[in-house]
Amino acid sequence: MGRPIHVIVAVKQVPDTSNVRINPETGTLIREGVPAILNPYEAHALELAVQLKNTFGGRITVLTMGPAGATEALRECIEQGADRAILVSDRKFAAADTLATSYVIATAIEAIQRETPADLLLFGKQAIDGDTAQVGPGVATRLNLPLITCACAIESFDLDNRLAIVHRRVERGIEVLQTPLPALFTVEKEIAPISRAPLPNIIHAARYTPEIWSATAPVAFDMAQIGIKGSPTIVGNAHTPPLKKAGPAITAAEMGVERAIAEALTAIDKAGVLTGSKA
Amino acid sequence: MTSRIWTYIEQEDGRAHPVSWELLGAALKLSRDLPDSVVECVLLGEHVEPIIDQAFSFGASRVYAIDDAVLRHYRNLPYSAGISNLIQQHQPEIFLVGATTLGRDLASSIATRVSTGLTADCTELAIDPKKILAATRPTFGGNLMATILCKTRRPQMATVRPRVLPTPQPLTEWKRGEVIRAPLGMREDDVAVKLLRFVAGEAEEEIEYADVVVAGGRGVGGAKGFALLRELADALGGVVGASRPAVDAGWITYAHQVGQTGKTIRPKLYIAAGISGAIQHRVGVAGSDFILAINSDPNAPIFHIADFGIVGDLNTVVPELTKQIRAAKAAQKHD
Amino acid sequence: MTEKLSFDAIVVGAGPAGVSAAITMASKGLHVAVIERGRFAGSKNLFGGVLYTSAIGDVLPDFAKRNPPFERPVTEQGYWLMSPDSVVRLMHKSQAYKVEPAEAYTALRAKFDAWYAEQAASFGALLIPKTNVIDLIRDAQGRVIGVQTDRPQGDVYAPVVILSEGVNNLLTQKAGLSKVDLPPNLVALSVKEVIALPQAAIEQRFGLAGAKEGVAIDIFGDATLGLPGTAFLYANKTSVSIGVGMLLAEFVQHKLRPHEVLARFKNHPVIKPYLQGGEQLEYGAHLIPEFGYDRMPKLLADGVMVAGDAAGMVDALHREGTNLAMTAGKFAGLTAVEAHKAQDFSARFLRMYRRKLNQSFVMKDLKQYRRMGDFLGESPHFMKTYVDFANDAALRYFSAHGMAKRDMEKEIVNSLWQRRSFFGVARDMMKLLRGMGA
Ligand SMILES: Cc1cc2nc3c(=O)[nH]c(=O)nc-3n(C[C@H](O)[C@H](O)[C@H](O)COP(=O)(O)OP(=O)(O)OC[C@H]3O[C@@H](n4cnc5c(N)ncnc54)[C@H](O)[C@@H]3O)c2cc1C
Ligand SMILES: Cc1cc2nc3c(=O)[nH]c(=O)nc-3n(C[C@H](O)[C@H](O)[C@H](O)COP(=O)(O)OP(=O)(O)OC[C@H]3O[C@@H](n4cnc5c(N)ncnc54)[C@H](O)[C@@H]3O)c2cc1C
Ligand SMILES: Nc1ncnc2c1ncn2[C@@H]1O[C@H](COP(=O)(O)O)[C@@H](O)[C@H]1O
Repeated sequence: MGRPIHVIVAVKQVPDTSNVRINPETGTLIREGVPAILNPYEAHALELAVQLKNTFGGRITVLTMGPAGATEALRECIEQGADRAILVSDRKFAAADTLATSYVIATAIEAIQRETPADLLLFGKQAIDGDTAQVGPGVATRLNLPLITCACAIESFDLDNRLAIVHRRVERGIEVLQTPLPALFTVEKEIAPISRAPLPNIIHAARYTPEIWSATAPVAFDMAQIGIKGSPTIVGNAHTPPLKKAGPAITAAEMGVERAIAEALTAIDKAGVLTGSKA
Repeated sequence: MTSRIWTYIEQEDGRAHPVSWELLGAALKLSRDLPDSVVECVLLGEHVEPIIDQAFSFGASRVYAIDDAVLRHYRNLPYSAGISNLIQQHQPEIFLVGATTLGRDLASSIATRVSTGLTADCTELAIDPKKILAATRPTFGGNLMATILCKTRRPQMATVRPRVLPTPQPLTEWKRGEVIRAPLGMREDDVAVKLLRFVAGEAEEEIEYADVVVAGGRGVGGAKGFALLRELADALGGVVGASRPAVDAGWITYAHQVGQTGKTIRPKLYIAAGISGAIQHRVGVAGSDFILAINSDPNAPIFHIADFGIVGDLNTVVPELTKQIRAAKAAQKHD
Repeated sequence: MTEKLSFDAIVVGAGPAGVSAAITMASKGLHVAVIERGRFAGSKNLFGGVLYTSAIGDVLPDFAKRNPPFERPVTEQGYWLMSPDSVVRLMHKSQAYKVEPAEAYTALRAKFDAWYAEQAASFGALLIPKTNVIDLIRDAQGRVIGVQTDRPQGDVYAPVVILSEGVNNLLTQKAGLSKVDLPPNLVALSVKEVIALPQAAIEQRFGLAGAKEGVAIDIFGDATLGLPGTAFLYANKTSVSIGVGMLLAEFVQHKLRPHEVLARFKNHPVIKPYLQGGEQLEYGAHLIPEFGYDRMPKLLADGVMVAGDAAGMVDALHREGTNLAMTAGKFAGLTAVEAHKAQDFSARFLRMYRRKLNQSFVMKDLKQYRRMGDFLGESPHFMKTYVDFANDAALRYFSAHGMAKRDMEKEIVNSLWQRRSFFGVARDMMKLLRGMGA
């Protein structure tokens, strides 16, 4: 067997937005009780890392920037097969936008690589809390690494010759790209199916304590590039989207389906939206 | 000093993506609220000459073009490096990019290279009283809209999804403005990533730019129910769309999904059958000219945005609708 | 290839029973694994919510110093008898309840269970979450020697296993200790909501002088459409817990949907003002075992003991369950510790657990109210008749101005006989007294 692999996976803990509820009476968000989960794309990224580790032997390091509670997401990564987990956490990082986030992640990855260089960096395609899809490309750009976003399959992975062939999903189909390694991929969910973690991993994870890095140790981050200071974008006001004014609604059962539809067609006709496409 | 509002012209194989013109149209509107501003386009690729004229026809006053064989296919490195150089030279105030797979990949790298703020997937753009770009986007799973500002760094960057903005018409009379041609300054050997081949996806119906979309949700109940919608769509010369649960259930493919995690559409006629009208769905159809909702629940939120609503069972309403439309068309032919 | 996973003891389920057992064993030096199928302890658990500190203190003497996430001390409690449009309140509020720590606290399970499990971890117990135990592992002699989980490489071994899996006691059944497969007449179904309200609103509506006062109300009558069952309304710090429960059989027989019964209850003119403007935080349903003393599962076999709801240890009349579960968990834990000392895990040795329970309030209470369930089952009209009567009587009593008191009293009594014959009432009272164990 060839040499072992080192994969770094950047993960984010996010509120489970599929669980967000709206108070039907007031129309406001119910934030309480929204569970925090590992961003779903990273769960798949980690599975890819585990597959590669199973093939080549080696190590997986997971990394997140977030609040103390994000250790839960890291523990989940240990359960799924990661070997080392690092939480970069400090008040000073708070309110970071994607530019500041990519600076912190890139700088932390450089520090990890000073110990063990990585062959592959994996990111989720996007984090479901913001859906921005910016941090992965931002980190690749900062580290000057080849970037492949929306990777959906690995065709070949040649660690000895440092070359991978990757499928990338775009609107019109699939691009088949060749890239040298190390490289940074952001992944789609199809990249690898989630498997149920074996019990010994769960036990190992329950006993595992992630490393916590602050803004000053073991890496001294540039204070001008982190947190609010390092974030050019600021969030102005937030509001619930307005509804446009509704037209009439008629009940088919009351007036009969045929007539109801005749009325609907008259309304469409009057609006004139189909003239042109009709003939 | 003149403020430059830039838009990116996304092209592949010599064809411009329509989102490019949507951005250009929006930029012209922003320009009215930003004193002493001009609207200019950025275009990269190989053999892109014909697209330059198109840009002028949509109202650009200047086009920056980099035409190079290395740019034949989109790849992150040469495209982002090329545009970042242009930005550093010409210092635009605002830079808008389409939120396509290509555009998101590109914009993120550029923003990092030039160290500025980028607001992704905006649904609304405006110039605020302090002459800052106010970019509005959904957050928290689409349940809230937030307005994002980038006050201190330039350019102010934003991506906007196709069809969120109206499609402008090309001007009938236009003149060719200035074209600034720049060298890429990179050779093929400098680009490590190679495109080996492209596997075109199965030709799916294009729902984004269709005039009529007949969409179904969980209330349709299954693939069979979608056959009814298909008949109606055919009768109207339109295409079929769907809500996320219908796609998740496998009744129809993802390419048909409308909404926050699907496509944004702005057809002339949108028919929603068995769709409750959740916020994440509504954001995808808000730009429709006319919305007809069919739902058995009179309290369904979809009726709040419908121009006309029919409270009833779609299994009887939809076939009858198809019947009457066919009849009307037949009558028209006879006239 | 892989090492065999083994512990001194395995606990199945991180509810009050399981965690109490784990604390007891781990604090005495046993190497304990607690296997829980939820994302974390408490994530799937729901109860009314009143917790009793005597039981917690029994397991964890210094609990008060460990910042337990209680909501409010219960300084006022009692019953409401509700008719469709009125209520008779029998409430007791006393300064005697104002001691630290108080005897009872309202609480939310998701928070409490997570905290309680952390205490077990602080003694060295290992909590294994997101893992479902699907079967027991036995040796050639049929003795339980471990459990099988739903994960790859998922077998875990220990000489003693404590089943504290709650009301849905599939493993207890697999262990051959219970034949009961939850017949609908032996389990109650409860639905509950937690509704957020500003702290000031709660204190004003319930007449509470700050966060050091709290109230727990159990409600009978119209809340359950006059059917046998109870409803509750408890004040938490910044939310209220509200719910209704009835025998599963009642829901089925009367074709009632649990959430509709709750919605109806929430809209009762007496209840509605308490909830006005609140935001729903949680909604859930849970079963309550009402096996009764006579139908309790066997509590032990070679290498295995059962504690808590899994063994039907609930005193429904006094809405007690967690305290029975905790005490039982502790006894099971102590027995396991002794078994390790003796290196004897046979049923004969583990009978120590049963003896400890028999001497405690757990079995005494369960025995005393052994016929309560039968009584309610046989006298379904009980709730409606007497609750309506109480409301009617109150109305007559308070609005009978200009009438001789004597006549009024007579009318009230007559109104009862109209509802139920004299002998009917007499029979009900007899049965009720028997149900209460008198
Ligand atoms: C982060 C995030 C992203 C999301 N993205 C999207 C997205 O891109 N697109 C999207 O659609 N959703 C999206 N959703 C999901 C969205 O919140 C809703 O859950 C979804 O839109 C509901 O789909 P529906 O209306 O088909 O189903 P339901 O809400 O279940 O509604 C079904 C409707 O059918 C009606 N009905 C039933 N039977 C009949 C009948 N026989 N005749 C007539 N009417 C009938 C019912 O009255 C009901 O109103 C997203 C959610 C999140 C959290
Ligand atoms: C609506 C309602 C109101 C109540 N009100 C009160 C009250 O006010 N005061 C009071 O004292 N009691 C109350 N009770 C009763 C009390 O909740 C229970 O008696 C008590 O929770 C029992 O504790 P337990 O540990 O036996 O079981 P549970 O609390 O049910 O815990 C069992 C645990 O085991 C886990 N589990 C089950 N099967 C498996 C498996 N196969 N593998 C892994 N894990 C498993 C479950 O996820 C759960 O965490 C109420 C109950 C209900 C439903
Ligand atoms: N705070 C963070 N810590 C670690 N990784 C992150 C963080 N934020 C984003 N990422 C990674 O970047 C990807 C894209 O995130 P986003 O740009 O926020 O959509 C995510 O899927 C993660 O892999």
